[in-house]
Amino acid sequence: MFQAKADVISKKEISPGVFSITLISPEISRNAKPGQFVHVLCGVQNDKFLLRRPFSIHRVVPGRAFEILFQVVGSGTKELSKVKIHDALDVIGPLGTSFTYSPDIKSALLLAGGLGVAPLLFLAEELTENHVMFYAMLGAQTKTKLLRYIDFKRLAKKTFAATEDGSFGHEGTVVALLNRTVHRLRPQVIYAVGPGKMLQKVAETADDFGIDCQVSIEAKMACGVGACLGCTCLTRQGFKLTCKDGPIFNARDIMWGESEVEQLSLDGYKYEAAEITDSD
Amino acid sequence: MSVNLSVTLAGIKMKNPVMPASGTFGNGREFSEFFDVGRLGAIVAKTVTLKPREGNMPPRVCETTSGMLNSIGLQNEGLGYFLKHDLPYMRKFKIPIIVNIAGNTLEEYAQICRDLRGVEGVSAIELNISCPNIKAGGIAFGASSKLAEQVTAASRYNTDLPLIVKLTPNVYNISKIARAVVSAGADAVSLINTLVGMSIDIKTFKPQLANYTGGLSGPAIKPVAVRMVWEVAQTVDVPIIGIGGIMTAEDAIEFFLAGATAIAVGTANFVNPKAMVEIIEGIERFLSERGFTDVRQLIGKVRV
Ligand SMILES: Cc1cc2nc3c(=O)[nH]c(=O)nc-3n(C[C@H](O)[C@H](O)[C@H](O)COP(=O)(O)OP(=O)(O)OC[C@H]3O[C@@H](n4cnc5c(N)ncnc54)[C@H](O)[C@@H]3O)c2cc1C
Ligand SMILES: Cc1cc2nc3c(=O)[nH]c(=O)nc-3n(C[C@H](O)[C@H](O)[C@H](O)COP(=O)(O)O)c2cc1C
Repeated sequence: MFQAKADVISKKEISPGVFSITLISPEISRNAKPGQFVHVLCGVQNDKFLLRRPFSIHRVVPGRAFEILFQVVGSGTKELSKVKIHDALDVIGPLGTSFTYSPDIKSALLLAGGLGVAPLLFLAEELTENHVMFYAMLGAQTKTKLLRYIDFKRLAKKTFAATEDGSFGHEGTVVALLNRTVHRLRPQVIYAVGPGKMLQKVAETADDFGIDCQVSIEAKMACGVGACLGCTCLTRQGFKLTCKDGPIFNARDIMWGESEVEQLSLDGYKYEAAEITDSD
Repeated sequence: MSVNLSVTLAGIKMKNPVMPASGTFGNGREFSEFFDVGRLGAIVAKTVTLKPREGNMPPRVCETTSGMLNSIGLQNEGLGYFLKHDLPYMRKFKIPIIVNIAGNTLEEYAQICRDLRGVEGVSAIELNISCPNIKAGGIAFGASSKLAEQVTAASRYNTDLPLIVKLTPNVYNISKIARAVVSAGADAVSLINTLVGMSIDIKTFKPQLANYTGGLSGPAIKPVAVRMVWEVAQTVDVPIIGIGGIMTAEDAIEFFLAGATAIAVGTANFVNPKAMVEIIEGIERFLSERGFTDVRQLIGKVRV
């Protein structure tokens, strides 16, 4: 892992509230593997908040730069969305584990919910380079929130899309789409990234069909490098660190629902109306 | 003009007065990828307990205004593992090693002190007395001057190593606790540990931490820490390690002026893994710019 002052060389708002930023760092881009993340001080003057924010590595320009893709959800991502070209961001990376596959795999399925495309596009590029055939399945609430569809379509054998409002592709959730098609696609491995609730359902389907499944888990973290023991994830082997033992885990190892990981999602929290009870 | 940064603290010779705060630096492994850990004045190990501890349920950390809450729950692999795997690794840095220990009973503290006797490379023991005493109904050792005195005495009886007692700020009168641990044989005190706090997610109406409450650290607690160091410095004669919200050399200097002989850096390590090196360099710069020749010229020099 490296700490770098990385120059911003490009910034785009690819969809309302969703930004992509490309940062120069030969060390990080040279060493990055799909699934790994960077820990970013979100802003040049970091006085509005304290801790770094984790973002998956979205793509690399080999040996030169890397890209992150993020959605504005709170103070850190808001500050990050305001950076300008030539600003230098303090970044640590590459951190954590990466997606794995054996060289002889015949087919894979990359499944993304919302911002889940972030680490999966990097994986798609690597699989393509290594001549691994894969399908992509992207889900979003609506067409404008469907990210990187064209990029996946260019790389994958076939790219499926699902929108909850039916504005593009299949109507419904990406999980429903998976459940309808998985017996035909017969992937050897599923790589899934997205909200925790979605991952849990994908993991169940993968389990039912005996398909290996790797997921990217999110947890609030402080150091990001394995020292503070803050970002624990509950697994069948006990507590693991999301930043160091993850973020990529074998879906079978995760104790879904036991830990709070399923509450943290790339789409943020759904508002749960509190039950109003009369007390007298 | 060259300046002297070295200090002696409870017999421990340190080339500079900067060390990590227990639990925020692991045992140095992760950070050694970012800088030469051997440049620090000392290394402080993460709290070790007699038996392994799993720690608390997640979520364990959350950011708050100018700080963070944590409820790690003293997760560690236990003393046996520490002695076999971590301590030998830490010895490679060739700087003083301070082993921070905690127990749920007086006997556990005493036992760990005995087990550390004659162990190569341990320069001092730091007692984390923020843990609840099971026998006394769960009240923290450090929250009562009587319990704090007992745990210090029990440890003192079982070790010849320099003994540092790390005080919790969650008390009404920290000077009273400091006096109690010094009378029981503490060679130095370190303060402060984290302040108990709570944060609630207004979207889910749930506490941010699974443990509901946690320890507040970071810049938010610095004024409290400076005040407590200053108070304790008036009360006891032993050296003080100042801790709490130190992010920069300027922060560290406030602690020296308040009466600290050395300082420990916690949360800042998460924000900037090289924070401690920058603090060492910054202290040196401050001293030479102001015409000081020795960091000790600052200790306790607040003009009140
Ligand atoms: C390994 C990993 C990879 C990630 N990759 C991406 C990505 O590629 N694109 C993207 O948009 N988001 C990604 N996230 C989520 C992203 O880190 C959060 O959206 C971001 O931290 C929110 O910061 P904020 O200050 O805007 O939000 P706030 O809600 O104001 O943040 C408050 C605190 O909570 C933490 N936090 C809030 N939401 C999350 C979350 N979902 N996961 C972890 N910590 C959180 C923040 O880091 C901060 O410490 C990833 C998270 C992890 C753990
Ligand atoms: C994540 C985390 C873990 C900690 N673990 C320990 C610990 O194991 N033992 C201990 O004595 N103090 C522990 N502390 C307290 C710190 O050592 C320090 O006293 C406190 O954080 C205040 O300093 P800071 O504001 O510089 O972080 C921990 C603090 C944090 C933030």
